[in-house]
Amino acid sequence: MEVNEINIAIPHYRRKWQSFMEINGITEFSPNEVDTIEKTFLWDEDGDRAATGSIAGNVIKYVAVCSKYKEGGALFNKVVSYLMQQAAQMGRFHLFVFTKPKYVQSFEYVGFKKLAVSETGAILETGVPGVTEYIEKLPHFEGKNGAIVMNANPFTLGHRRLVEVASAKNDHVYVFVVKNDVSLFTYEERIELVKQGVQDLKNVTVVSGDDYIISPATFPAYFLKSDQEIGTYQARLDAILFKDQIAKPLGITTRYLGKEPYSKTTDSYNHELLGILPPEVNVEIIDRKTADDKIISATKVRQAILDDDQALLHEFLPETTMEFVKNNYPNLKEKLIEKGSK
Amino acid sequence: MGIKETALAGTLESSDIQITLSEGSGIDIDLDSSVEALYGDQIKKVITDTLNKYGITDAKVKAVDKGALDCVVKARTMAVAQRALGTTEEPNWEVL
Amino acid sequence: MEERLRRTMMFVPGNNSGMVKDAGVYGADSIMFDLEDSVSMDQKDAARILVYEALQTQDYGNAELVVRVNGIDSPFFRSDVFAMVKAGIQVIRLPKVESAQMMKDLVSTIEEAEKKFGIKVGTTHVMAAIESARGVMKCLEIAESSDRMIGLALSAEDYTTDMKTHRYPDGAELEFARNMILHAARAAGIAAFDTVFTNMNDIDGFMCETKHIHQLGFDGKSLVNPRQIDMVNSVFVPTKKEIENALDVEAAIEEAKTKGSGVISMNGQMVDRPVVLRAQRVMRLAKASHLINEEGEYIEE
Repeated sequence: MEVNEINIAIPHYRRKWQSFMEINGITEFSPNEVDTIEKTFLWDEDGDRAATGSIAGNVIKYVAVCSKYKEGGALFNKVVSYLMQQAAQMGRFHLFVFTKPKYVQSFEYVGFKKLAVSETGAILETGVPGVTEYIEKLPHFEGKNGAIVMNANPFTLGHRRLVEVASAKNDHVYVFVVKNDVSLFTYEERIELVKQGVQDLKNVTVVSGDDYIISPATFPAYFLKSDQEIGTYQARLDAILFKDQIAKPLGITTRYLGKEPYSKTTDSYNHELLGILPPEVNVEIIDRKTADDKIISATKVRQAILDDDQALLHEFLPETTMEFVKNNYPNLKEKLIEKGSK
Repeated sequence: MGIKETALAGTLESSDIQITLSEGSGIDIDLDSSVEALYGDQIKKVITDTLNKYGITDAKVKAVDKGALDCVVKARTMAVAQRALGTTEEPNWEVL
Repeated sequence: MEERLRRTMMFVPGNNSGMVKDAGVYGADSIMFDLEDSVSMDQKDAARILVYEALQTQDYGNAELVVRVNGIDSPFFRSDVFAMVKAGIQVIRLPKVESAQMMKDLVSTIEEAEKKFGIKVGTTHVMAAIESARGVMKCLEIAESSDRMIGLALSAEDYTTDMKTHRYPDGAELEFARNMILHAARAAGIAAFDTVFTNMNDIDGFMCETKHIHQLGFDGKSLVNPRQIDMVNSVFVPTKKEIENALDVEAAIEEAKTKGSGVISMNGQMVDRPVVLRAQRVMRLAKASHLINEEGEYIEE
């Protein structure tokens, strides 16, 4: 059995790799799944492809073992072990896997811990620091705790309103900021603006969602069949992960969501959360704050930056965010143009 | 003494043990083993003693055991200790 | 050199703890722990320590223990040699040997390590793997490079690549190298090991090759799979005629001893040294094949 690193950007290797994945039942190769891959390894035995696995950030992806070697799982263990060693070489010691529920046991056997399992998918992690260390490092509060999860790209008066409502109704409120950097505003900028924007609310703690609040933009779903609903799969796992691994140890009893009358995606996301979080975690959907009858949203703010719409920015943003936007205006606009108005 | 950097050694294959060493205070071992009830204490002792020989007294240890003998536990602990201390090609002959 | 059977030299990947642990149970005459090709660059340190610890604690019975260290120009060479000498390894096998000087350099590193760890200088033996045209042409000087030498081994994979060919079922491409290595080994009074046969599914091909190298006069063969051990041993089983002849020679030696005679004679003819040595080798093979009982008598089938 030999293992080689292959570069799937080269068509020859890409074909070799992709056809092997297809034989093993994985058919989803959309760019947002494949482009994140940094390293791919292929095992072969006397010239026949036997197994493969890839590393994408801190995620182990596209693991497949030829059915000939499935008995006993020895090759699977070898593959995972090798990927972990390679990740360690890259300085990554905390890894995730997103997989079909039927493979949970195989990954648990090699030391992974399950974070969330639904009927369509599962999230497991291994290594350090894990979710236990993440929760340990957060401040813990007695009493009635609420939570809000936001990307805050950037922090608007709409976000502010959501936090205010939660703040008034709870002894303490956690604001989790999504860490994945796929937004106009960097993670550091976003969390800083949230912190500045809620500074006066003494019972609010702004924390990083770290790897445990996963942005839908980076949620691996390559193993789903094409007819399966990606949005539902993501929302459910996200909800289970939040409920079991975050809300439970922190004593969070209510999660606040902003109502989204225009986005069907967000609406169905909220719907899934409603189906999973209660009764342990109540869900309160708060109407969006309006300014001059317009619903405040970060999307409109980004459009306004692109359109130089100062009036709208003033209407939608708290002073803290406004200040930042003003100071970084040319830079932000340039990034927006580059990204094709994201 | 603590460690310089997080490190990993060993595999998840049968008869082996995979050990990850990261920063911590005291030797704190999280052991995942199918024979934990029988041999858990022994495995932890070998890990702790070996780390101590390298002067490591503060580290978080994650160990996934797949039925490793004591000599394998010791060997993997030595490998991970050397990696965490950045001394792989200047082995400590006094410890070996 | 100590005379012993070396029919089988089993390769054990040095970072595979399962195989390192079980290496003693298959009955190979020699076990070769590999720190070189079977271990990836980033696991060299871990393999070295694993083999070191296993050598300290595991019982490998009567097998001769060999370690293949990384090449003399690699950054791992020195630490490999030091660790293995400290672990009390019997033989260090150097890969890709092309000159007597390379063996001398290995020996001087070993000597340094022996002194450092208080081990009697000269305890650790060495052997050379011949893997290139140049290595083959320099066989004799390599075989005679040091009195620590116990053997030469052919490594066909790299050799055939160097020769711009590859391996064929009939082995014609290896014939010259095999004969060179064998002659050099015999001239120097050391062992000759044939190369590995990697296609596990071709049992006929394996048996055919083993019979061939047995016929040439090789001491044994390198192996990658324990399943091949019994097959090689079956080829090296002496015939009934050979055993009976060896028993006759032993009896003649015994007779000479009781008579207090310095001359061994059999059937009215003097028995000279090569005949005695061959008889001793046949007896070792017969015992290893369980064809001789405790009283030293031949067991009829």
